[in-house]
Amino acid sequence: MEDVIQIKTDKRFIRQVKSLGGNPLKECMQCGACSVVCKLSPEENPFPRKEMLWASWGMKDKLIGDPDLWLCHQCGDCSATCPRGVQPATVLSALRHINYLEYASPRFLAVWLSKPVYLPLVVAIPALIILLILWMAGTVSVPDGPVDYSKLFPHPLLNGTFATLVILVLVAYWKGFRRFKRDIRKNQRAKIKGQKSKKNNQKRIRFFYQLKEILLHTQFRKCQTNRLRTLAHILVFSGFLLLLLVTLVAIVNVLFFEYPMNFWHPAKIAGNLGGLALVTGTMMMIWYRLFRKDAIGPSTYADWSFLIFLLLLAVSGILTEWARFGNWSAAYVIYFIHLVLVWIVIIYAPYSKFGHLLYRLAVLILLKDRR
Amino acid sequence: MTTRPLLIIGGGISGITAAVEAAEAGMEVILVEKQPYLGGRVARLSRYFPKLCPPQCGLEINYRRIRNSRNIHILTSSTVDKISGTKGNFTVRIERSAQYVNNLCTACGECPAVCPVERPDEFYYGTRRTKAIFIPDEITVPFRYTIDGDVCLKAGCAECLSVCKYQAIDLYAQPETITREISGVILATGWKPYDAGRIPELGFGSGDRIVTNVMLERLPVREFIVSLLPARSSPVIAFAQCTGSRDRNHLPYCSGICCGTTLKQALMIREQLPESRIKIFFIDLRVQGRNEDVLTRVLADPNIELIKGKMAGARIQHNDGLVEIEAEDILNGRKIRTTVDLLVLATGMVPEQVGLDQVRTLDNGYIDRDSLPDGFFAVGNALHPADVPTSVKEATAAALKGLQVVRSTPPHPLPIRGGATGIGI
Amino acid sequence: MKDDVSATLGIYLCTGCGIHVAINADALQESICKAFPAATCRTHPALCSEQGTHTIWEDVRQNRLDKIVIGACSPRIHTDRFPADPTTIVERVNLREQVAWCQPPGTEDTRALAEDLMKMGITRVLASQAPLPYIPDNVSDTILIVGGGISGITAALEAARAGRQVLLVEKEAILGGRMNHLHQQIPFLQPYCSPVQPIIGDKVRELLAEERVTILTSAEIDHLSGQPGDFTVTIRQHGSLHTFRAGAIVMATGWKPYDPANLEHLGYGRLRSVITQPDLENCAREDHWDQLFPKNPVHGVLFIQCAGSRDPRHLPYCSNYCCATTLKQTTYLRKKYPGLPIYVIYKDLRTPGHLEQFYQHIQQDELLFMTKGDVTDITENGDVITVKADKTLFGESIVVDVDLVVLATGMVPSNTSELNLTYRQGKGLPDLKYGFPDSHFICFPYETRRTGIYAAGACRAPMDSASCMEDAGGAVLKAIQCIEAIKRGEAVHPRSGDRSWPELYMQRCTDCKRCTEECPFGAYDETPKGTPLPHPTRCRRCGICLGACPERIINFSDFSIDNVSAMIKAVGIPDEFEEKYRILAFVCENDAYPAFDMAGQKRLQYDPSVRIIPVRCIGSVNRIWITDALSRGFDGILLIGCRPGEDYQCHFIQGSELAQQRAENFKEALQTMMLEPERIRMEFIEITDCDKIPTLIRDYLETIKRIGPNPFKGI
Repeated sequence: MEDVIQIKTDKRFIRQVKSLGGNPLKECMQCGACSVVCKLSPEENPFPRKEMLWASWGMKDKLIGDPDLWLCHQCGDCSATCPRGVQPATVLSALRHINYLEYASPRFLAVWLSKPVYLPLVVAIPALIILLILWMAGTVSVPDGPVDYSKLFPHPLLNGTFATLVILVLVAYWKGFRRFKRDIRKNQRAKIKGQKSKKNNQKRIRFFYQLKEILLHTQFRKCQTNRLRTLAHILVFSGFLLLLLVTLVAIVNVLFFEYPMNFWHPAKIAGNLGGLALVTGTMMMIWYRLFRKDAIGPSTYADWSFLIFLLLLAVSGILTEWARFGNWSAAYVIYFIHLVLVWIVIIYAPYSKFGHLLYRLAVLILLKDRR
Repeated sequence: MTTRPLLIIGGGISGITAAVEAAEAGMEVILVEKQPYLGGRVARLSRYFPKLCPPQCGLEINYRRIRNSRNIHILTSSTVDKISGTKGNFTVRIERSAQYVNNLCTACGECPAVCPVERPDEFYYGTRRTKAIFIPDEITVPFRYTIDGDVCLKAGCAECLSVCKYQAIDLYAQPETITREISGVILATGWKPYDAGRIPELGFGSGDRIVTNVMLERLPVREFIVSLLPARSSPVIAFAQCTGSRDRNHLPYCSGICCGTTLKQALMIREQLPESRIKIFFIDLRVQGRNEDVLTRVLADPNIELIKGKMAGARIQHNDGLVEIEAEDILNGRKIRTTVDLLVLATGMVPEQVGLDQVRTLDNGYIDRDSLPDGFFAVGNALHPADVPTSVKEATAAALKGLQVVRSTPPHPLPIRGGATGIGI
Repeated sequence: MKDDVSATLGIYLCTGCGIHVAINADALQESICKAFPAATCRTHPALCSEQGTHTIWEDVRQNRLDKIVIGACSPRIHTDRFPADPTTIVERVNLREQVAWCQPPGTEDTRALAEDLMKMGITRVLASQAPLPYIPDNVSDTILIVGGGISGITAALEAARAGRQVLLVEKEAILGGRMNHLHQQIPFLQPYCSPVQPIIGDKVRELLAEERVTILTSAEIDHLSGQPGDFTVTIRQHGSLHTFRAGAIVMATGWKPYDPANLEHLGYGRLRSVITQPDLENCAREDHWDQLFPKNPVHGVLFIQCAGSRDPRHLPYCSNYCCATTLKQTTYLRKKYPGLPIYVIYKDLRTPGHLEQFYQHIQQDELLFMTKGDVTDITENGDVITVKADKTLFGESIVVDVDLVVLATGMVPSNTSELNLTYRQGKGLPDLKYGFPDSHFICFPYETRRTGIYAAGACRAPMDSASCMEDAGGAVLKAIQCIEAIKRGEAVHPRSGDRSWPELYMQRCTDCKRCTEECPFGAYDETPKGTPLPHPTRCRRCGICLGACPERIINFSDFSIDNVSAMIKAVGIPDEFEEKYRILAFVCENDAYPAFDMAGQKRLQYDPSVRIIPVRCIGSVNRIWITDALSRGFDGILLIGCRPGEDYQCHFIQGSELAQQRAENFKEALQTMMLEPERIRMEFIEITDCDKIPTLIRDYLETIKRIGPNPFKGI
């Protein structure tokens, strides 16, 4: 059966891509250099050239659920090479953003996170809900004595609340994510014909292989142009992972052992290192976005908001710790802010740029190895 | 002749054409060329496209017309330092580098044998060497030897002096300044190849197997490729179009002639090496007008593959020294990574610097035509990327502009120097 | 050789540059002085030096010499040292590149070669006259410009500003040509961002203000006769005839669009909504969009590039301007229909040079979609046209529904027979490929096969309007140059400055008209009685007619049947017992002779049996010389010229081809004389083929050795 595309161009889609940072995309002359320099793109049907073509032609159907978008690390090798200066890296970032909007369920959350006009709402909702919970728990007050955060937000309530929220969000999000999985499988099958799917045990091997690759940033390190960004991402990634693990350890400690933990507790040290890594990494990323626009292209509100929230999360976490040690009077306020930020970064994750975690993981694990 | 001559800066195909056409229309012409020979870049080509004919054929006719004309005064090894004045009444100051070999040279050829110094042959883009005293090519005007003053040992050696029977060598020669009054100026300063070394991802300079298109013109193709072959029966040669052109990181404009050059070179290689295979990687194949003929010929050859997709990477492999190239074969939707025996980079053209106060250039280095003062005219590759027919056409039209200037200025009593000499003033 | 003739002859032998090593100059001088006792004969170690040239000119003055033979370096070298003037004939014998540098020094063969060449040179010069140039009475300075489009108008302006009288003839009622149909023009100045207002209006106004220009509109050429410097053109305007004179002609008759009726496979004629670029341009200019779009278009417009171009079944060449024109026209559509998608399907997008900026700028249109592709199918479905293309950038075939398809058709040059030349060879300018007037279009684009008539603009080669303007300037320069040369009695390119011209001894003419038919430049017409009628200023002095004439009545003052025959007879032929061969080589002076020089420069050695006679064109070789050579005892005759064929190198266009045909005829004639046809060989070499010369000669000598020496030797 011959492959024929019935052309249907979507002007609004093109405008959307342009507004999300892909402004010069129409000037692409389809030379293909970007696909070649991209170390992450496969041999067959490589990206990002074809994405540039589809985007220039407003072919939204091809780009929603395009798995290749998630193999891209926005390292900028392609933009550096591009003779036309059309910044494929930024265009792909814009396309990913549109994908977030398309697959997010409920959609309005993703919309809120992508437009500055909704920022007050984005911040107010977690703040109010947390306050509500505290009020219902009767702990809305600034307690006296040495700082003990459980006085404000008892641990069981805290952990229970956030665990519940995470589950609620994942359930709500599942519908969209299922659509995503279906679409990427369909789009990949359309391109690579005649390949049977591997057996299950091979899938498992692939899963662990991918996991190792992700942890070690093997693919990211292939990128040439903005090597510091690779480092920045390693810092952010490992910092976040560390903090996540530390939080889990903390929960276990709360339940079974001493809490809060001693400063010299290995988990505490790990947590502090993680925090440091996270702060350093995000600050490097912010520096890149502010001062190296030539290398990585323009940044959108969605890019900035995620990054700044992440930074604030890390900073507020560190300040929370210091406030406890220093018995600052503002400690509980800082803690409260920290909790709001935890919500914004983690609970909202599927609807913000943080969603790349889920989408990328899905593409890397679910699909046949394309490299 | 009682009017001031026309000054032509640049002795390539544009300058030569302007000089010859102006002279035969009755004007007196001073042709200034910075090299010791005329012919510019086309003298260093082996073939023209689309006819695959040698440039020397047309150049010989022009040189004959120059020789037979009494109106053309040629100053080689010279540059124009300064021009002052207004249309019809300019004064030009020309700097002529030291003429260690003067026009008494008969080109008898005794001197290179005794010269101890060697230098890279820039006529051959550095792929060969000559002695410090050398003659650039077999067809060259003026037909005489020249000394590269930068490497010559001068009076400390003087071997050439001892064998020259014609008092043609003066190792104490000094540069001289020549001032003339002229009526108009034609800027025919031409181009130089874009430095492929500024594109590290294509590996130029890392080995003999990666050359530029201009270098290939001067290489004996068959011998060179055979010398590179280990034991491959069927050498593969790749061409990378748009090396530096159509690229905002290098030259934003299209250099216009590289596609025609590559197609021509592909046909030449195929003719000399019937066992060879060629791959050409391009974005758009730009051969306009009748130049399309060269593409038609290439399409008829099944051993020349045309692949749409800009070559984005090339390197010499450590193990076997062959060239690994990468590009996307766009129409088939797959990346190509393969090894070839020779990679030819189709580098673009950059205009030569003119170096005159009155002449302003655009950002891309080309002369800003609109800003040229009255009496100044620009032609050929000084103005925009141009192939030979375009340069010839513009040079002829500029000769007419010169004629208009000469006509519009009142006669000036100026005796012709040197009787009927045609070369040198 | 009569003494009184050689009394004004000066013979100079240079012994520099290795000549003295190669030959015994004193012995040669002695031999020459014996043969020509009345002549002044000297040797000198460096004739090109100031002292050397001084010696010569002193002799000229003192001994009243009018003919000089200089045996030294190649005539292509040091031409400034030994210039001819109207009263002194200078013959250069090539003892350096073609004897001393390519032959073993001091051998008997080398000396014999030098002696033969000197004697040939001397003999030739004694049989030559300084030319009395042909200058027609009353040379007209007027330049006739045929065509009033952008090329013709620019030509007229430039010619007027150069001080010439101009006559412009335009067949339409108004000036402007096809540019009148333009809505806007492709940008030709920085910043190359948007189309610009057509400049044709301004140009017409400029022209109308020029004093020296006579403009005739609604006028066509009824007939054009005469020769450069002296053309008579009769123009028909509104039914009546007017006659003018002109010195040279610029043909600027432009182009017409390729006939889209041939493009049925792309839907033209077959489907309602398929038009061409010129159609769209007209519509934009007249703002008649409703004719194209009866209903408001919603689907889009699709441009198909290279419609009938770059296609061996239609126009094999590329028309240059269609890619940029489509980009320009997308702006028209965009202005009128802001939300309409526009598609462009191309083979290659050709915007070279600065036009690349234009391409990049136009691409910013959000609803402009461009892809490479081959259109395979166009069908109509109700109001919608469905276009299918494969081999696209998508890696798959695409199907697009649009309201309108625009075919980017190419340029076809106008028919030059509009010139209505009364030349016997035909009304127009001969063409070779694609209908463009034939010329050496790379190096010498203006030189058509009709001297004094120069083509400019799109009738010469496909080009856009900015290029047409440059082209016009060049053609005018050539026209002026031609007139000036004629006033000096000189030929134009490629034998610029040549004052000889073909003189016919009409008493012996048999009206065979081979000269008339074979002259590549149509220099001969025919009288009512059928006799060839030469027009000397049409002549390029190639001598092809001289070679063609069976009665040998055509001669130039310095290149004639007799003086070449004399050269042949001056060669010393060794008798048959010496087992030495003699080959006569006619070598064309344009490519072949320089190749021999370069062989010498490279010190390539070849057999000493070759005696070279340089000729103006290999097509100027007359059959009688072959006969003379064979009766003289030459064992073989080589004819070496420039490449013929579609990619010809021959500077006189057809000389090589004619020589090739004649060589075949000679061979047949040889067979009737019981001689081997191999005694004549035709070779085509390029100017860069010097390395092939030794092999070529050696190869030929093998053949001669095989068939044995000339049986007529010694008879």
